[in-house]
Amino acid sequence: MSTHPPESDDALGTRLRTELRRYTAPAYLRGSIGESADPPRARPAWLAPTLAAAATALVLVLVSIPFLPRILPADPTERLVRSVVAEHTRALMWGARRPEVVPTSLPWLTQESGIALRKFSPGDDRLVFVGVEPVYLEGRRGVALYYRDGDGHLVTYTALPAPGLPLPESRRVQIEKWRPALMSDSGFSAWVWRQGDLGCFIVADMVSEADVERFKDYFVRLRLSTDPVPAN
Amino acid sequence: MSSDEFHRAALEHLDALYNFAMYLTRNPPEADDLVQETYLRAFRFSHRFQPGTHLRAWLFQILRNTFLTFYRLRERESALAEDGVPTWDAPMFHDAPEESSGAVEAHTDLERALRRLPEEFRTVLLLAEVEGMALEDVARILACPVGTVKSRIFRAKERLRGLLRDYSKE
Repeated sequence: MSTHPPESDDALGTRLRTELRRYTAPAYLRGSIGESADPPRARPAWLAPTLAAAATALVLVLVSIPFLPRILPADPTERLVRSVVAEHTRALMWGARRPEVVPTSLPWLTQESGIALRKFSPGDDRLVFVGVEPVYLEGRRGVALYYRDGDGHLVTYTALPAPGLPLPESRRVQIEKWRPALMSDSGFSAWVWRQGDLGCFIVADMVSEADVERFKDYFVRLRLSTDPVPAN
Repeated sequence: MSSDEFHRAALEHLDALYNFAMYLTRNPPEADDLVQETYLRAFRFSHRFQPGTHLRAWLFQILRNTFLTFYRLRERESALAEDGVPTWDAPMFHDAPEESSGAVEAHTDLERALRRLPEEFRTVLLLAEVEGMALEDVARILACPVGTVKSRIFRAKERLRGLLRDYSKE
């Protein structure tokens, strides 16, 4: 109970100033506020212009990339192998654009690709036929047949018009009666050979020694069973 | 005023702000939060502070506005009188902090009576009488005319006296 009777405004004011408890801020609060008051370390003066210049350069590079000349192999065979491998990779990732099942589509395929398949492999105990589609690589119309082996490797057989396609002698491999060149690009192996005026390619991601032996077997199977010729 | 000087000058008022926050919230953790938030805002908006004006009043204004924003989103009751405060029987706001579990108990009749006052009356007494601020500064903090401040002080004391009279009869 209060000992001070309620009285004048001044007296009440005095009581408020003298009788009320005064709370003081705890030390931890003072510490935490002091920490938050510390100004962040100033950035070096050169940092902002350097970052701005770097960002501008990066944007310019990104914008100009599509206009830069592509570095292509000078050798026409290597260039074709690169294109065939790129097509194989596309099929590997996205599947054939319009896989067709021969023989029903043979006339259409011949018309589109300019290449007739006198015979082709519909698959066997090692290679399952996936599909076939016309392709357009390095300014040439061609045909690509897709197979998949028991281990899931996609094997692409491509035939393109390539009269006089040079084959690097050092890479040629004797397989039975044939001597295709074994080339590689982007981690893929490719058999390359000439068949009349056509250049033929078999691509798969088979690069180890054991895989290459199997790849030889696929070459033999497809070489024997498939016979592309120019449609004209 | 440099940033360091500003921080140093602002921290000189920490105890006064904490005391004010305690009487507003009646709860130490809430008072901590309120004061911390007040300083964060003050440091963030230090560029808006006009040198030559009262830093103390500016900080109290931030604290009160922060309190109103975060702690006073309560149900508003009844009609207001001319000077913006409720009538005797109808407190302007619920004083919810008093009901919270961590509330500090009142030790004297004066504290009890002060707690019973609506926030507008309590604040005006704390600023004008306890902190000894000029009426102009109080008016700036409360964002109202000096005449309103005087009226509130008068009415606040009247009500305080009434409460103290009641307690003396107990």
